[in-house]
Amino acid sequence: MNLNVEAEKKNTYDAIVVGTGITGGWAAKELSEKGLKTLVLERGRDVKHGDYPTATLNPWELPNGDRPTQEDLKTQGVQARTGYTVRPSSKHWFVNDLEHPYTETKRMDWMRGYHVGGRSLMWGRHSYRWSDLDFEANAKDGIAVDWPVRYADIAPWYDYVESYIGVSGQSESYPYLPDGKFLPAMDLNCAETELRKSVKEKLNRIVTPGRVAHATAPMPHTPWRGQCQFRNMCIRGCPFGGYFSSNACTLPAAEKSNNMTLRPNSVVYELIYDEQKGKATGVKVLDSETGEQVEYYAKVIFLCASTFGSTFIMLNSISKRFPNGFGNDSGELGCNIMDHHLGVGANGRMDGMEDQYYSGRKAAGFYIPRYRNIGKDKRDYLRGFGYQGGGGRQGWARGVAELALGADLKNMISEPGKWTIGMGGFGEFLPVHSNRMTINHNKKDKHGLPVIDFDAEYKENEFKMRKDMMADAAEMLEAVGAKNITTHDNLAAPGIGIHEMGTARMGKDPKTSVLNKYNQVHACKNVFVTDGSFMTSASCVNPSLTYMAFTARATDYAVSELKKQNL
Amino acid sequence: MDRREALRKTAMLMGAAVSASTVGAFLYGCKTRPDLTYKPVFFNEDQALLISAASEIIIPKTDTPGAIEAGVPNFIDTLLKDCYKEEDQKKFLDGLNEFDQNAIKAFGNRFIEGSPEQQLDYLKKVHDEAVNAKKADPKTPQPFILKLKELTLLGFFVSEPGATQVLQYIPVPGSYKGCIPLKEAGNGKAWATS
Repeated sequence: MNLNVEAEKKNTYDAIVVGTGITGGWAAKELSEKGLKTLVLERGRDVKHGDYPTATLNPWELPNGDRPTQEDLKTQGVQARTGYTVRPSSKHWFVNDLEHPYTETKRMDWMRGYHVGGRSLMWGRHSYRWSDLDFEANAKDGIAVDWPVRYADIAPWYDYVESYIGVSGQSESYPYLPDGKFLPAMDLNCAETELRKSVKEKLNRIVTPGRVAHATAPMPHTPWRGQCQFRNMCIRGCPFGGYFSSNACTLPAAEKSNNMTLRPNSVVYELIYDEQKGKATGVKVLDSETGEQVEYYAKVIFLCASTFGSTFIMLNSISKRFPNGFGNDSGELGCNIMDHHLGVGANGRMDGMEDQYYSGRKAAGFYIPRYRNIGKDKRDYLRGFGYQGGGGRQGWARGVAELALGADLKNMISEPGKWTIGMGGFGEFLPVHSNRMTINHNKKDKHGLPVIDFDAEYKENEFKMRKDMMADAAEMLEAVGAKNITTHDNLAAPGIGIHEMGTARMGKDPKTSVLNKYNQVHACKNVFVTDGSFMTSASCVNPSLTYMAFTARATDYAVSELKKQNL
Repeated sequence: MDRREALRKTAMLMGAAVSASTVGAFLYGCKTRPDLTYKPVFFNEDQALLISAASEIIIPKTDTPGAIEAGVPNFIDTLLKDCYKEEDQKKFLDGLNEFDQNAIKAFGNRFIEGSPEQQLDYLKKVHDEAVNAKKADPKTPQPFILKLKELTLLGFFVSEPGATQVLQYIPVPGSYKGCIPLKEAGNGKAWATS
């Protein structure tokens, strides 16, 4: 009896955070720094900042020119659907698909890695703010449910997270892509500069340096981070701490507070709900190394296990109060899957500027913010899209198709080739109730847990939008005088944007949403969900900065509620 | 001991001068059948020798290393074994065999038995035809010789000599300048990676 009480006490914390990715790291930092004894549970292995095995390998030190082997493709066939994740330099950051399977009623390309830091190690680092164009969209279009917040609620939190992580960018005073607290922008190169000029003159649109979470200036408040060294090997992990990751930024801060306990290899599979108290009291954990099942308890729980990860935990937490999944009074849990659709754009070649080049390897090109369905512009689809793109000079690959051979070939190739420029669109994906995930008990993963089944697809609005995404890209390249313009539209499947969101949306009404405006589960106020699952609509901008802002806001609210003894 | 040395010693032992043409006959044998610098895991010895000879013609040693010195034949061999699907491996080997059979038609010998001039002339002819065919119709399937050229370039430019001597490579640039005169961008050569 005594032993049980002691064991329970040992496993009791003020707060539990599930996940250590983009949002888990932030929740860990905020809760620990605000004085809560915080248990941070990560399902994957530990990765300390600096433990990046391929980070400094030169091209000749990677096998097969960094191409995946046929063996790799057998174990990581789904992760390989992107065409770039399963390379010797980065495959260790992506799951073994045979150990972590899922089923596809409709195809879903689900990319992730299970380790401390999650996708904050491999992410693309583009960081853009929403505006009220995005927050008001559902209400204006009569789609899904209204966001329970507006830009004014989130702006101070964008300020807060941007200032902490460091975002390199350039102010443009464009109301639909609000400016942030920027570190120096990365230069546009010669071709990109020409594009910016021509697109502004001829089409009155903005081409701005990509706003990326890179330290392009010293940040004295996080002295353990270095600055971006312009190696462009980010996906491998950065020993300089040059870009934001939980490992380089938020987890060290949490550690310094002395209030965080980090427990890797801890797969949270269920929330523990106390019907009498009307609260969640903790989580059930499967230790992936020992197979042991352990319970941990806390006053407040933050689910930051990624969109599909957190919703899985909730769907798997069945009780008398919640027969359809934790907090699922509305029936919306698991529904309204969104992503950004991409794989559509244009490329071209530019004559001239042969005596100009660049030095260093920057990790961002340009960004073109949304201009469609704004003001007087009215298209045959709703919402809009932005572009990421870049310019550069051709390398050795151009030599294959040329007549040069031998010494001539060597000489030709040792000079940079013609300038090229290209861009790919990121399109908004409308929320639809029937685009959903459920739990499939007919299949098990390596831990013996049931798997997720996906049943989601692109709909008419997405297809219509892609016509503009392709044609507009070509038009902009024409504006800068590019030649040999080729367009492409390679539609893959939801998930390929690696911006999957929705499944536990926030809203004003508990009958039609899972979370309230503070990311609290309507039906159980001491559980917060702050990863992509809370998203009520998708916008077209990269979402991680928004997840960080909402997480910082929700943790602030949670702590103040705890102090008021409301939780 | 290489052939040249063996020949010289034999001549000395026999107490006779060896004619220039005889020396020539032995020496061209030396050049066109370089010893394999690695142990193939995919090609048989003859195929490996063909790939070595052909890749060195595509990227020869000049004042900088060529394909063989940069380890390109080994690279191609390993890449085909580890990374290619079975059907693509078969296509490549079929193309290699066809290339070799057509060498016999062209100059009466298998490729690795030809003289350096014969090898170069033949490869260039096959290569130029393939390049022109591709330019005329980009949709034609990639011919063997251009597959080989691409693999040679890939293997060469991920190698240390290729990346650092024929191109330029700085492991930690430290900063980025987006638009500067070419001659101020390092040593003015193309960057090996982006």
